[in-house]
Amino acid sequence: MIEAIQFSSFSEFIEMGGYAFNVWSVYGMFTVFLLANLLVPMRRNKQIIRDIKRRNLLNAEINSGSTSNNLIADNSGADGEGQ
Amino acid sequence: MILFLVIGATWALLYVPQDYQQGLTNRILYVHVPVASLSLSFFPLMAVAGTITLVWKMKLADMVVKVAAPLGAWFTALALASGSIWGVDTWGTWWIWDGRLTSLLLQFFLLLGIISLRSALEDSDAAARACALLSIVGCINVVVIKYSVDWWNTLHQPGTTFGMTSDQPNGPEFWIPLLIMGIAVALFFAVSLILATRNEILERERRSQWVQELVQE
Repeated sequence: MIEAIQFSSFSEFIEMGGYAFNVWSVYGMFTVFLLANLLVPMRRNKQIIRDIKRRNLLNAEINSGSTSNNLIADNSGADGEGQ
Repeated sequence: MILFLVIGATWALLYVPQDYQQGLTNRILYVHVPVASLSLSFFPLMAVAGTITLVWKMKLADMVVKVAAPLGAWFTALALASGSIWGVDTWGTWWIWDGRLTSLLLQFFLLLGIISLRSALEDSDAAARACALLSIVGCINVVVIKYSVDWWNTLHQPGTTFGMTSDQPNGPEFWIPLLIMGIAVALFFAVSLILATRNEILERERRSQWVQELVQE
């Protein structure tokens, strides 16, 4: 069922029987596609958490300084639940 | 997911025998087919989530509709691009207005349309309803894509039958790596959809108690 490796040398593997451009560009795009849709959302997640923390810190500082409340309170996403 | 990807890609690239007509371009199949077939699942997924949004106004369903659209556009774009690169030597052309190619291109533009529709509408409830409706309507195109190869006999070949033993055409030495790659891409689809949905939940609920508690940890 599993055949032998189809290539006798590494350079033959790279050449892909004359279809190097076709095969490797498709596999290259596939790699970009996988990484983009995994790494970008993972980094975005860290960024969101950092943003929320920073906003909380700023709000806490302003409130303790007894200036007007919630100057930079986050009013976007006003459809948030559980308030 | 990574395990399936590594095994599937290694098997496809190194061990699959050459096609007697296509030579080694048959390696493109192991990317093109899983990605293209999964790209068809986006509109049904978004239509189900969109129906839940319309009927029960469940926020999570709308979040899924929102994050699925760009991911679906990625899948569709890769299916089109990999097919095009495959076709340039096996069909002798990058592109013709074949039934399947055209209907898949239409799906790509429908997804871009849903993405821009959401950003164009300021009222988020109206945007959710409009995107849900467009997702349901877009399912018609999925049926067209699926049967396009049978309705219009232009260029893209119909589905292939697989042989169960090695002496039949398209035997297991071809389809087992395809199955592994299919599972890998399906798992990737689930993981990336969940990652994107998680971000969407965090952003929309950032002022809620539980997000605040989560962030403090």
